[in-house]
Amino acid sequence: MLNIIFYFQVHQPYRLRHYNVLDIGQGTPMFDDKLNSEVMKKVAQKCYLPTNALLLKLIKEHEGRFKVAFSITGTAIEQFKLYSPETLDSFKALVDTGCVEILGETYYHSLAFMYDSNEFLDQVHMHRDLMMKEFSYHTETFRNTELIYQDRLSDLIFEIEGFKTILTEGVDRILQWRSPLYSYKNYSKRINLLLKYYQLADDIAFRFSNRDWPEYPLTVNKFVSWIDKLTLNETKGRNQFLNLFMDYETFGEHQWAESGIFDFMRHFPGEVLKNDHLGFAHPKDATSLSNYQQESISFPEAVSWADEERDLSAWLENDMQRNAIETLYELLEKIKAKGDEKLLPLARMLSTSDHFYYMCSKYFQDGDVHKYFSPYDSPDQAYIYFINALAEMEEKLLR
Amino acid sequence: MKVLMFTWEFPPLISGGLGMACYGMVKALLNLGIKIDLVLPTREMVYFPLREVSDVDTLPVVFIDKGEQSKFEKLRFSNDSERLEYIGISDSPESYIQLTSVQRYSISLKKEYWLSERMSGEERDVWREMTNHLVGDEDLIHKVQEFTLRAEKIAKLLEFDLIHAHDWLCYPAGMLARKISTKPLVVHIHATEFDRAGGPGDERVHKIEHAGMTYADKVIAVSQYTAQMIMSRYRIDTAKIRIVHNAFTVPEDAVFSKERIFKGPVILFLGRITLQKGPDYFLEMAQKVLASHPDARFIMAGTGDMSRKILRSSASLKLKNRFLFTGFLNRKQVERILRASDIYVLPSVSEPFGISPLEAMAYGITSVISKQSGVAEVVNHAFKIDFWEVDLWVDTINHLIENPEKNIKMGIDGMHEVNKIQWDEAAIKIRQLYSATLAEYIRRQE
Repeated sequence: MLNIIFYFQVHQPYRLRHYNVLDIGQGTPMFDDKLNSEVMKKVAQKCYLPTNALLLKLIKEHEGRFKVAFSITGTAIEQFKLYSPETLDSFKALVDTGCVEILGETYYHSLAFMYDSNEFLDQVHMHRDLMMKEFSYHTETFRNTELIYQDRLSDLIFEIEGFKTILTEGVDRILQWRSPLYSYKNYSKRINLLLKYYQLADDIAFRFSNRDWPEYPLTVNKFVSWIDKLTLNETKGRNQFLNLFMDYETFGEHQWAESGIFDFMRHFPGEVLKNDHLGFAHPKDATSLSNYQQESISFPEAVSWADEERDLSAWLENDMQRNAIETLYELLEKIKAKGDEKLLPLARMLSTSDHFYYMCSKYFQDGDVHKYFSPYDSPDQAYIYFINALAEMEEKLLR
Repeated sequence: MKVLMFTWEFPPLISGGLGMACYGMVKALLNLGIKIDLVLPTREMVYFPLREVSDVDTLPVVFIDKGEQSKFEKLRFSNDSERLEYIGISDSPESYIQLTSVQRYSISLKKEYWLSERMSGEERDVWREMTNHLVGDEDLIHKVQEFTLRAEKIAKLLEFDLIHAHDWLCYPAGMLARKISTKPLVVHIHATEFDRAGGPGDERVHKIEHAGMTYADKVIAVSQYTAQMIMSRYRIDTAKIRIVHNAFTVPEDAVFSKERIFKGPVILFLGRITLQKGPDYFLEMAQKVLASHPDARFIMAGTGDMSRKILRSSASLKLKNRFLFTGFLNRKQVERILRASDIYVLPSVSEPFGISPLEAMAYGITSVISKQSGVAEVVNHAFKIDFWEVDLWVDTINHLIENPEKNIKMGIDGMHEVNKIQWDEAAIKIRQLYSATLAEYIRRQE
């Protein structure tokens, strides 16, 4: 049996205003409420609401056989409440079907794991509480920001929070001869790992509307036939997992409605379920479905799902990114030491990984992707506003 | 006396010290009863007939084209800035001129003037130097060409006694106006290509500068430092050169009281972020000062071709949020940043004058300035250091941070001193120069 595991990332950052030195101490808001509201409303109209409606319909049609998982950040939930409460309601309706798994992550979609383990665990815990509060859902599976993972993370997540499964990227240099279609154990054999099958996931997420792609247009039949082929190599009856992880904004936002992405999704589950040996599963099902001795796999270096490199270079490569993030975590520590409850959430909003992504200056084709997502003219601008915001917070702490 | 004046900058069309200097100078000259027809690189073909002192702020406009002028006269504007916008003036001098006809321009220059029989061999060489080097595909060169074309029309249209052109961008215009009118030309050196480039710079600009100074009847240098440069690098006849130091007049709506943004000491760099101004020395100072005073903040105010390099270096030096960039600031924003600063530094590699330290001093901020600057010749209550002596700059800044009462006293003394450096005095010197030039001209005519 091959189990298709859909996991969709739902995230919106708090974008910073073009925050200048002369704004410091003036009481000017640091975050661009207007832009954040516009983006949320736009994405809700183009993606969240129509896709949620479609998924709800599919789940009902297939009577429990179609399943998906979501990871929804705390900053997204907060902004739903501020700018698009109907979106939050539609997610709740989906969760209520019982066919949706909610994953755990950091509340602020941060890189805290790389800089401050205590802050990381705080944010993971905050997120878990939020999921319980909003969806009455106890998360069992963890995915770190941008699927960032290394061995050390599994220890923290297992020992402190008791998660049973972690999702990450199926990076070739780690997998080597192994297939991402099987579940694995982490290096210490205590927790399950599910690895993204990036070729097929990215066919939907990145290539779907690309007319230069030889396989364009991607039809449901073609895609299901590719999936079907994957089962041919498995002759011992082991359960396989096809992990299709992607940004939820793929639907209607990154791939526009005109590209046919919604039609694709509308017909995909039915076509899959025509085959007895194909089905859908939740990430948490991997524990019971792994009907074989899982191999242990070690990730000594951090990986992620971003860019060609699938490492941390999208956020932590250049000097601007490093100086910015180090200064932020120093400030977070000072704020905690002083016990300033007002500044803490603001500083944490600055810990969202997007801020560092905007500062990325890689000049390869991935740079284009970064530019597409950035509200600023250049990485330098993003850096200047961020550093100014940190100066503002520090002055506030002194005041 | 009526002067036809060409300048590339004049408020609100301003990007640096040139605009501020022209403003103060013109205002003081008007006060002495001198009439000025001002020509700027505006989008529309206009000039500004300035007669009253208040005209420097209102900028009355006349279109060169009569049809355009009558059209303009029928228009009603709700305020001055709307009117100035109509003729193509806003905050950034680089965005105005559209290239019209480069070819027509150079042909007209060559045929009508350069090849005219009235030209002596020596004169022809200077013209050739100018026209041959006023070529290139850069936007700026195109703008200068267009501006020069405009000068031709204006010189034919207007009556004036004397021409005054500021910096190389306006030298071709000034030269052409002199050629057409035969009236004497004064060129004013606010900076040479050697200063701006912090090295040899662009060959074409040198040649145009040399041609302009050679063709001019008189050359005004903004400092002894600059006069020395003109003599040694351009071999200009010493007898033609006069030194008139710049001054600084405080705007009437200025607010001087301190308004801190930061708790810790604030050290300010204010100017173009370009090699000439020594921004890399500022960064090095910041790194060293922050090692002993981690609560200080260094603010880099302005933009320039080295912005990105300095920004990236400040990040790689891990200066945290202690080294900040403001980007471009307008006049009111400059005032706010001055009111928030404690120490002003000008580590220029080569600074013909440098008005901005005077401005900082007017706000009671202690100034530490490069010895390689003209402004060092006119102020006493400021620290003067060779730009390359970074450790000395660092010691000075540390000393001022550690002795705030000394810093305050130095600032106040500097403020008193700057208040005495007035444009009226400079304008009197310029008037004397005008008179002498005119007297020589009349003698030559007889």
